[in-house]
Amino acid sequence: MTDPLALAPILPPGSGGARRFNEPTLTDDARQAAFEAHIAAGGKVEATDWMPDEYRASVLRFVEMHANSELMGVLPEREWILRAPTLRRKLALTAKVQDEAGHAQLLYRVAEDLGKPREAMYDDLLAGKTKFHNVFHYPTRSWGDVGVIAWLVDAAAIVAQQALRDCSYAPYARTMRKICWEESVHIMHGRDIVVTLVNGTPAQFAMVQEALLRWWGPLMQMHGPRTPREKDRDLHWRIKAKTSEELRQEFLGIYVPRIRELGLTLPDPELRYDEEARLWRYSEPDWDELRTVVTNHGPMSQVRLDFRRLQRAETAWVRATILGAPVAAA
Amino acid sequence: MVHGGSVMAPDAELALHYAREMFGRRGESVRLWVVRRADVKVLDDPDLLQPPLDRSFKKPGGYVMRDKLVVARARSGVAKRTATDR
Repeated sequence: MTDPLALAPILPPGSGGARRFNEPTLTDDARQAAFEAHIAAGGKVEATDWMPDEYRASVLRFVEMHANSELMGVLPEREWILRAPTLRRKLALTAKVQDEAGHAQLLYRVAEDLGKPREAMYDDLLAGKTKFHNVFHYPTRSWGDVGVIAWLVDAAAIVAQQALRDCSYAPYARTMRKICWEESVHIMHGRDIVVTLVNGTPAQFAMVQEALLRWWGPLMQMHGPRTPREKDRDLHWRIKAKTSEELRQEFLGIYVPRIRELGLTLPDPELRYDEEARLWRYSEPDWDELRTVVTNHGPMSQVRLDFRRLQRAETAWVRATILGAPVAAA
Repeated sequence: MVHGGSVMAPDAELALHYAREMFGRRGESVRLWVVRRADVKVLDDPDLLQPPLDRSFKKPGGYVMRDKLVVARARSGVAKRTATDR
């Protein structure tokens, strides 16, 4: 079939046909320059476009980490499906876990197109060569954790993910639109759980308050340490749009008032909005803890990875059956 | 990606050109695909796509917290915020 790009000359300028960097007769330097200019002007990149190796590697690393996090992120909540307090909560939590597993599939699909086979991504994750988000390395001790994770972990994530809907890599940006919509449902589900517990018995209130105190540290670490905007290559390539500190400020701005109006207490005595600086002030998050946890030395890192290893071994025959069929027939 | 419409053509090459004339004349398309109708697998079983069960927990509107938030704010004594809330 004709490559749609062959129609480029008759498409109006700027419609996607005029991507000079796709011109194979240009030198690599000229292609790189055209690509940089395209990105700087807010242009999008498709899977079939030419792209510099650094850009491809950067998008791949970013999407792969996101995919890993969705895959591992279902495990803490999965543990509570059988213990959900009502049928509706059980259905909602099951749907959320299904959604997140689906996000992992969507994202691995995006990553695959950038050149790394899915099996290699699973191998690297299970071997500890690639990472997943810090918040999924912790245990879920009570039903309060389920509410706090669905509300606040997903909220912290969606702050980052909304900025990714404008990612320069178009397949990722499109995928994020669907993911963000589903995450917004999860936030409603989580907030509903938290508000219900807050309105419940003193024991229920104490349960959600205790969970919040435990999760606050990891939540504050989640977006990562402050990095200078000019040094961040992912910002340069417009893979992401905001720095870690901008994301954290946005998260605090929206969610601290919503937490406090419920009468819940946050553990950081320094946490306050500085009207003059128009910034949230907070105690320095424990970056050593973040480093320890994301290098798979967190309290549940190995348990969760072991579960994935076991699950992968147990389902190997399914993959062999499906993928092996054409080979056997040949 | 949305379904643009259908064209009648003797081969894929010409189908693309027809598609361009029909669906790419005003800059409204970035890319066009053509697929033979016979090659399109269709799923339109309403039992699978529009199941007759209550699945409101999968949608943001399935969580109405207005009354619960009123109770929670009254309990905590924190003044009601002006920002919109469900």
